[in-house]
Amino acid sequence: MSATVEFQNVQMSFEEDVLLKNINFQIHKGEKFVLIGPSGEGKSVLLKLMAGILKPSEGKILIEGHDMWNCLPKDRLALLRKMGMLFQKNALFDSLTVGENVAFPMREITQKSEQEIQKQVKYFLQEVDILHALELFPDEISGGMQKRLGIARALALEPGIIFYDDPTAGLDPITSRMIVELILRLQKELNSTIIAITNDMNRAYQMADRMAMVVDGELIITGNVGETQQHKDPRVVQFIHGYLKGPLTEHTEVNA
Amino acid sequence: MISVIDSIGLSVIKTVIMVRDFVVLTLRTLVYTFTPPFRVSDIFKQLYFVINESAPIVIFCVCSAAAVTIIESSFHMKIIIQNDALVPGFAALLILRELGAVVSALLVTSRVGAGIAAEVGTMQITEQIDALKMLGINPIRFLVVPRLIASVIGGVVLSILANLVCLYVAMLVSQYKLGHSAGSFIVAMRAFVSMQDLYFAAIKGACFGFVIPLVSCYFGFRCKAGAEGVGLATTNSVVTISISIITIDFILSWIFSYFY
Repeated sequence: MSATVEFQNVQMSFEEDVLLKNINFQIHKGEKFVLIGPSGEGKSVLLKLMAGILKPSEGKILIEGHDMWNCLPKDRLALLRKMGMLFQKNALFDSLTVGENVAFPMREITQKSEQEIQKQVKYFLQEVDILHALELFPDEISGGMQKRLGIARALALEPGIIFYDDPTAGLDPITSRMIVELILRLQKELNSTIIAITNDMNRAYQMADRMAMVVDGELIITGNVGETQQHKDPRVVQFIHGYLKGPLTEHTEVNA
Repeated sequence: MISVIDSIGLSVIKTVIMVRDFVVLTLRTLVYTFTPPFRVSDIFKQLYFVINESAPIVIFCVCSAAAVTIIESSFHMKIIIQNDALVPGFAALLILRELGAVVSALLVTSRVGAGIAAEVGTMQITEQIDALKMLGINPIRFLVVPRLIASVIGGVVLSILANLVCLYVAMLVSQYKLGHSAGSFIVAMRAFVSMQDLYFAAIKGACFGFVIPLVSCYFGFRCKAGAEGVGLATTNSVVTISISIITIDFILSWIFSYFY
């Protein structure tokens, strides 16, 4: 399988602080790759590095074999347009209606006619089951519907790689499950590569072909669901079982 | 002692970095302003926002300012020279050279500048700006350039509007309160001011309009998470713009003084 995303010795620092160090891994076409790990360890930063929103301090990030920070601007744009993202806070444009949010990428990026765009908008909203909210504004719909809208917008340019930054955050267990099932159904339909962050282990197991944990600036590839569950690294064991005592909470006072 | 020196040094470094970042934002904005693609519909949308949102407040406030200027000038002139015949001329001078442009700019700052900082700040913390980047849309071209062009045009329009309204109200007040006829007001006014003063007022309006969106967007882009972050970005932008307007006004008045 060819690598859709490849990290080569990537390091990410903010001023003096090194958040991610010497990250090397590959994600293959059509794969469902799930990132887990404690809060503040750099999972979202890792995702934003893959998505081309942040530039690494060192190292190379290859998307379909192309270094996105070392190519012509038009090639970088072409790479960016192969990717879609559902942001942690949805990042919906609150001055635009639900329909306009989905139409926005198509209006800005493509040469499609307005008629074609409207047809596509209705198709994607139908796919995520919120067509009835077409004319509403994002703050007029529920959290679950906002996630669905975020997914519809991420899919609007029919990207091959889709990033989901904590797609079930703040949702109840039933809605979470429905959102993950939606993500999996769309992945199957579009044959896309998905990279997701979640701290909900049930949803992670439901989604993942392969998993990795971000901790202490490292990326630990934990393998498939079975391998992750049997992983020997004490940090992985503590995290996936939610134990209060262990290396992850060594320097934290636990008042359970 | 060392910690005091450290903290002073840190503040100096932070200030230098902020100034550097602001200069970079300004230069990039200027480059994108004069290179295609031009977002014409966004410019008109922002222009409507700047003028429509600010004009009623500007008109209301300059009317009050004009009335106060006339009444106060008359009161003090009568005390000093026992005559207020020069009031229309002096008032017109004060209005055209200072009051109209500066008051309207400060009002635009509180309405439009604060609005831009809050909007961009909210977009920053809710990852909307990341969403733009993800689509390959340059946030400076998308957000700053239309606001800059609209604010410069709006600054000129509002400055001229404020001056004209202010002069008209000053004339009415001097007519009904002080007993000067409209004719005598205009004659006195023309002895003190000329069209050049209105042009200079328009130039001041353009310069103030240039600063407002740049500073607001700068603080918006640097906004930290949370309601406090947006509040701080808004406050910082309004304070910085207000100081900038007063400083620019001083510099421009100094330069214009060579042309009077």
